[in-house]
Amino acid sequence: MKTKLLYFLMILLLPYGGWAQTREMSASERASFQKSLQQLAEIKTISADFVQYKHLSFMKKPVESSGKLYLKHPDKLSWSYTAPFQYKMVFKDHKIFIDDQGKKQTIDVGNSKQFEKINTLVSSSMRGGKYDEKEFVVSYLKQGNADMVRLTPKLAGAKKYIKEIVLLFSSDKQIEEVKLVEPSNDYTRFVIKNRKVNTTIDESIFNL
Amino acid sequence: MNRFLTYSFFLLFFFVSCGTYRYPNASGIRESEPKELNNYYLDTTRTFVYRAKLHAFKKDINGNLVVQTLGRNEHRVALVSDFGQTLFDVSISPDGHELHYAMHDLNKRIVVREIVNIFRTMTEQRHATSAVMFANQQHYYPVYVIDNCYYVLKERKVERIQQAKGTKEHLTIVYREWNEEDVPTKIAVEHKKFPLTIDLMLDVDQSAL
Repeated sequence: MKTKLLYFLMILLLPYGGWAQTREMSASERASFQKSLQQLAEIKTISADFVQYKHLSFMKKPVESSGKLYLKHPDKLSWSYTAPFQYKMVFKDHKIFIDDQGKKQTIDVGNSKQFEKINTLVSSSMRGGKYDEKEFVVSYLKQGNADMVRLTPKLAGAKKYIKEIVLLFSSDKQIEEVKLVEPSNDYTRFVIKNRKVNTTIDESIFNL
Repeated sequence: MNRFLTYSFFLLFFFVSCGTYRYPNASGIRESEPKELNNYYLDTTRTFVYRAKLHAFKKDINGNLVVQTLGRNEHRVALVSDFGQTLFDVSISPDGHELHYAMHDLNKRIVVREIVNIFRTMTEQRHATSAVMFANQQHYYPVYVIDNCYYVLKERKVERIQQAKGTKEHLTIVYREWNEEDVPTKIAVEHKKFPLTIDLMLDVDQSAL
């Protein structure tokens, strides 16, 4: 009797538990969402704060770090951690510039296709561009009222490192969360905050 | 003459292959009172997060090393890159290990074997019954020996572990600093066979109770 009562209470309380259901977008929802994403292609610069949460299956709490990102269309990206450590990376001119607490190095990625893919993915994710359907199975989803895109790698090379990438959008169709799920099901969440669009970004941000 | 050369070669081979590591300035090995060593990772309620800087084969990798004590001499150790990618995640016990995950490029038998060896040596509590003798005893810190590992004590704490294989030093782990609870806050690992060093610094805020 007690067990039945417990199940009844669980079912009753489930809708208040904050477990938003995920479902496929309808055709009209998808068309409307894709149209709204096209408007984001007008974005020339983005600056934002981010908090990174690394979830390991055996840990109670995620490992947390935070920093700032700057994106300047078409090919400049600055990604810097400010807490709990200082580490800055700038992607530009087919090179990665790194400043690790004063220790600087440059990695020339030349015509690396891998680098191009990362750059395109970050840029299109942040600016709402089209997703490469040759590389990913793209699923358009709804989580509660929020829009969500799930990218599942198709190619064996990418599958070794990433199981899926989930992008969560705010009501104004801005990316507010990126989740990278690894083959082990451990995952990293990047929560984007204080996003500013099309403001002037000082060129010195991209100089290391 | 040929026979002499063959014998000489075999004798040389025999002595070289059977040679053992000799601790610097040691005059021999003596029995000691039983001594518990390396008591740093015993608390099963703690998870330690270290800021990790790896320099391996001319490449730098930064990230976090997570160390969790699962039980008596059972530890789960995971290394995560700055971008959050898990590089490896392994449970280690004195008799074996269970690899939960290793990034594709690291999932090679020899790499996993060395990773397990490094972190088993770093986390495992040991019991010594032998110590190194020095000709000038006042000059040296106590050094205990267990199998092929030499534990150097300073102020009653293990300050350094030197692991030997054959005649050579294979691995050195130096505990550089500790907090009030005697948890190592700075550790330096140097592999003597491969070009690999790891510097660890405890991230106090993320090392949860």
